[in-house]
Amino acid sequence: MAAPTPELEPVIVAFCCHYCAYTAADQAGAQRLEYPSNVKIVRVPCSGKVDALHMLRAFERGADGVLVAGCLEGDCHFSTGNLRARKKVAQVQRLLEEIGVGPERLELLLVSAGMGSNFARAAREITQKIRALGPSPISEAIAARAMNRA
Amino acid sequence: MITAERKPLEEILQSVSSFDRILIVGCNECVTVCAAGGRKEVGLLASALNMSMLKAGRPVQLTEHTLERQCDPEYVDELAQLVTGADAILSMACGCGVQELARRYRDKPVLPALNTKFMGAAERPGVWAERCAGCGNCVLGVTGGICPIARCSKRLMNGPCGGSGNGKCEISDEVDCAWQLIWDRLKALGKTDLYEQNMDAKDWRPAGGGGPRRIVREDLTE
Amino acid sequence: MTHPETSKTPGKVLVVGGGMGGIRTALDLAESGRDVVLIDRSASIGGLMTQLDRTFPTNNCDLCTLSPHLSEAGRALHIDLRTLTEVTAVSGGAGSFQVTLTTAPRHIDLDRCTACGDCLRAHPECVTFTPGLDHRAPTCMRYPRSIPQAYSIDLARCSDLEDLVACCPLGAIRPQEDPVVVQETFGAVVLSPGADVYDPTPIATLGYSLFPDVVTSLEYERILSASGPTGGKLQRPSDGSAPKKVAWLQCVGSRARRSEHGHSYCSSACCMFAIKEAIVTKERFGAQIETTIFNMDIRTSGKGYEAYYQRAKDESGIRFVRCRTQNLTASADGALALRYLPEDQDAFLTENFDMVVLSTGFVVGPRLRELADIFGVDTNDHGFARTDSFHPVSTSRDGVFVAGLFEGPKDIPETMVQGSAAACMATGLVPAAAPRPSDEDLPPERDVTGEPLRVGVFVCECGENIGGVLDVQSLVDHAGRLTDVVLSENVGYGCSAESMEHIRATIAREGLNRVLIGGCSPRTHLARFQDLLRRAGINRYLVDIANLRDQDAWVHRTSPELATAKGRDLLSMGVAAARQARPLADHTLPMSQQVLVVGGGVAGMSAALALAERGLRVHLVEREARLGGEALKLRRTLEGEDVRAGVKVLVEATEAQDLIQVHTSAIIVDHSGLPGKLKTGMQVGPQLFYRQIEHGATVLATGAMANRPSLYLLGQHEAVSTQHDMESLLEEEPTQVLGWSKVVMIQCVGSRTPENPDCSRICCQSAVKNALRILRINPQARIWVLYRDLRTLGMQENAYAQARQQGVMFVRYDPGSPPQVEADGEALRVVFHDPILGDDIGLRADRVLLSTGMVPDEEAAEELARIFRLPRTQEGYLLEDHRKLRPVDLPTMGYYVAGTAASPKSIKESIAQAQAAASRVQTLLARGAINLGAAVARVDSSRCAACLVCVRACPYDVPFINADGASQIDPALCHGCGVCAAECPAKAISLQQFDDEQILAKLEGLFERRTA
Repeated sequence: MAAPTPELEPVIVAFCCHYCAYTAADQAGAQRLEYPSNVKIVRVPCSGKVDALHMLRAFERGADGVLVAGCLEGDCHFSTGNLRARKKVAQVQRLLEEIGVGPERLELLLVSAGMGSNFARAAREITQKIRALGPSPISEAIAARAMNRA
Repeated sequence: MITAERKPLEEILQSVSSFDRILIVGCNECVTVCAAGGRKEVGLLASALNMSMLKAGRPVQLTEHTLERQCDPEYVDELAQLVTGADAILSMACGCGVQELARRYRDKPVLPALNTKFMGAAERPGVWAERCAGCGNCVLGVTGGICPIARCSKRLMNGPCGGSGNGKCEISDEVDCAWQLIWDRLKALGKTDLYEQNMDAKDWRPAGGGGPRRIVREDLTE
Repeated sequence: MTHPETSKTPGKVLVVGGGMGGIRTALDLAESGRDVVLIDRSASIGGLMTQLDRTFPTNNCDLCTLSPHLSEAGRALHIDLRTLTEVTAVSGGAGSFQVTLTTAPRHIDLDRCTACGDCLRAHPECVTFTPGLDHRAPTCMRYPRSIPQAYSIDLARCSDLEDLVACCPLGAIRPQEDPVVVQETFGAVVLSPGADVYDPTPIATLGYSLFPDVVTSLEYERILSASGPTGGKLQRPSDGSAPKKVAWLQCVGSRARRSEHGHSYCSSACCMFAIKEAIVTKERFGAQIETTIFNMDIRTSGKGYEAYYQRAKDESGIRFVRCRTQNLTASADGALALRYLPEDQDAFLTENFDMVVLSTGFVVGPRLRELADIFGVDTNDHGFARTDSFHPVSTSRDGVFVAGLFEGPKDIPETMVQGSAAACMATGLVPAAAPRPSDEDLPPERDVTGEPLRVGVFVCECGENIGGVLDVQSLVDHAGRLTDVVLSENVGYGCSAESMEHIRATIAREGLNRVLIGGCSPRTHLARFQDLLRRAGINRYLVDIANLRDQDAWVHRTSPELATAKGRDLLSMGVAAARQARPLADHTLPMSQQVLVVGGGVAGMSAALALAERGLRVHLVEREARLGGEALKLRRTLEGEDVRAGVKVLVEATEAQDLIQVHTSAIIVDHSGLPGKLKTGMQVGPQLFYRQIEHGATVLATGAMANRPSLYLLGQHEAVSTQHDMESLLEEEPTQVLGWSKVVMIQCVGSRTPENPDCSRICCQSAVKNALRILRINPQARIWVLYRDLRTLGMQENAYAQARQQGVMFVRYDPGSPPQVEADGEALRVVFHDPILGDDIGLRADRVLLSTGMVPDEEAAEELARIFRLPRTQEGYLLEDHRKLRPVDLPTMGYYVAGTAASPKSIKESIAQAQAAASRVQTLLARGAINLGAAVARVDSSRCAACLVCVRACPYDVPFINADGASQIDPALCHGCGVCAAECPAKAISLQQFDDEQILAKLEGLFERRTA
């Protein structure tokens, strides 16, 4: 089997809170747990810091999937940021539905700092899901435009 | 505060479908506070429109701008240059803002992105409810601070109708019976005598029955 | 901020040995304001750890984790580092030791040497690093990032002295130097000289001196190491070929029954060491390499180690064979023929291997025995410094403390704990030195606003860690092509002292005003690079790190191309965000000098006492009505110490200490505030009175619980009890024991299971202890111990040997077919499989004792972790900041853990960790003020619609609408979560360091390539 071409691979943006999700991602590394390289992590102090606008902009720029990852319920370093993140994710999912970008492309993950394996599993699962869904209509449109221009 | 909600994306898309350069204008007053048309909502709508258009294979040029207030000519003047570069203006203000833009920029189509709803207050974060109908002749002083016009489904002026039950309005269990609220409040204030007073038939002329309303303050006019 | 002055002239502390333990001690002392002289007999510090390739269980590269510590040690002004130095005489006592220090000539002027290597190239014969460990390999540079960064000269081996002196362009070579002898006074001494490694030459059957392909584990480590003799390639010493089959032989020189085969104790670290080497071998050099570990027991009883072992077996495919091998001979084809008798076979087998690694343990050699003599400290039969359970780092000589291997064989985390504990003990004798005017002279900060962007990108190779997976050169080239990047280069180990200096100089020289490091996690290294930028004369917030290691190279090892592509994306994102970075100001707050210690058990009391004795006010909170915790149920340690008496001393001292306020029957209900100024609320007493205390630091010593799983009729049959239950019975009802003729003990009951994967660490020694105690009362009793792996670490092994000698039967069982226990009237019928006899054995036992170990107190631990917002491991123990190097610090600054709240451990280990926690608290509070960083929310009042969304959303009630009708956020109160910024409908709030521009820039950077 030929090696996959990075350009044709789905891109998944993962907004990870510093205290849990980002730490869990580091733990996955420390434990050498593999997950697809499609997931690109953006570090934020708290999942509650992830603006609806950030999620939407990620899709607008061509993300095929977006993961907002915070601490487990009740464990947010900043008290309730993760619950706010959950509401914002739901809001943006509704908006994605209106736009015609599958709302299932946006996901919330709650994970504790020690759960490196859960992070790796979630990264594998969302990549698998997005791969099955195919490229987002937006990233497809962007790619088509780039092709036309070239 | 004037409250509003964004129109369904589908409807907005329809309205701007024939334009290539669209200026989206927010307002930093009421609609910012009710999370319908502030800087952030402008960003979200721009992003949503951009994606929808990309998807439809008809990319458009979107410009975002938020004014301090869309219902004052001086602020609206700020847009002049941006408007020149646009085929249409999509206003995220209440109906006042939309009309002010339309008045100022006569040669550009101005389209509303919001449905203006009512004058209301925040019941709790994220929930707004109607409080005032702008009748032009306030009776709150005799109704215990609760407006029977804005909050009674039938706008009754002299006590509840027969549909009031358990303190709720017959149209929905979610709606409080305004007259129940008025009674409770007057009782708490020891002013039930006010309830006993018959109110005269309402003069609806100041409420707009006499045509579009204006306020003129001679001392402030120039 | 003041420390109690115990004498007018502050003294110094002498730390002997610059390995990991010594560095930790010196750093802790320096950070709490003490002057330290750190000596090491070799030419550079770092000790044994600098020779390791990676450490378990994170398989991290040691150079990478260690070098930041070394740089710290080299930088701290309180530390006077003297290499090539030994203690030659000691007199005086605690508070005032007169110590004679002898420094051997280095023959190189440290101030001039830049470690350019010219002398090494011209005269390799006489330029030394500490000699290579491989007895056959060419002399290797022991540690390429050594501190001090300088060579040393061995004059005796030099043939042309004149030419040697001339070859140095800086004139740094000094052939005339003589040894320097000085006498100095120290208030306290910490001995952390490490230990020696067993030399397997005398064991003829192992053929170490005959066969070049038989190497010790440390030599194998050098072969794997990128800085080793083979440059990190796995090659057989004999012919340079790549081995296809490698065997590890455990317990070489350890657990020996005859003295000519080494020593009787267990070296405690070799099992993990071997598993790690086997995993690394497969990971780095090919999964097809067959790796086999010959062992008697696998002793993986540290935190998270059991999972590592299971992964090695189940996922990495490492073969474990249980037996001691018989001998090694050369086979015809140049391979090594290993003869062994597996446990489940009745005939010897011979198997060929390409390489054999001897897991050699730790010994106390002559130089350490001499050191013990010079200091006059008592040692045990094996030469290790004697300590006791209640004074884990105190030697027999007042004022002399011990840390690390010299105290007994142990692993790195325990060494780090003892290093901090010893620092804590030493601070009791040496008051803080006068504060330095400034710990560092910083250049003025250049104002970069208005400058055109000049981004510098520095990509770390980090040895194999990044360079082994990612194509670093292509990443460097890629970054060099990004907008506004004026410089992009490979910096090797970016966090080494050498590279840091290089980056600093480059920033200044090139006038860079934004920096991106392609390296490891910003969680662990960002602060270090921020300091570096400040030292380079620009604002510390102009740097970011693209996480190429933890979140790229380490997780995509098997697809290097995709990993490199992702690396390019991460650099693009990083540069795009760096271009948006703006200079920011830090916010500092004064710190409360009170400490909250949660948990009134042995660990909590020890921490509280250590802190109070050093002048800090402590609130000790215990949920039970009395102090003492789980230790109240224990009577004797394995060594025979009276636990009850020891606990009594602690309780009385705690209650008598004026600076400790004890709150018993107290339940913590809330926790708020900012780092350095924390507020914790609790409900106290039967009336549940609410009380709130303010504190700057928090020590969690909440303990664990004795496990009582419903297995083997526990709780259903009178004659089944736990080892824990035996404690008081053996002391108080010895007559009962006299009636027992057969006793069966079952190990790992409720530990090492899918539900509770970790080993409980203390049960094997408890079983041995109780077996010996039963035999003392009733010598006629017959005892069977059914175990999976017998894990008597260190000197505990001697007690295990003694138990065997006294007739205790140790029989291994397989977790797949565990022993069966059935009621048989008042007695029990036990059936188990004996692997040696190959048969099932049934017997009628008067008593069955279950080794049930410990589990986290799920309810309390979960509640407290939630209140304090501290992460836990999957098993439910508190998760430390770094499993190896920071085993006491929790991930949130100002929180520390002691005792079994972190993982199962003995009383001695708990007290050591409590003292270590006290030391860490002192280092924090000594700063006086806390830096809250710059990640605070800022309001653009011209945009603010005063909508109240931020006021309502803030979890800490910080924003308010001010008299000007705009939201105002006090930076000193802001916690920096950014929720307000995300909620603001007017986009009037931004969270500095994480503002929208930077986050959106990352997205732009990521998708640029695709949309272009």
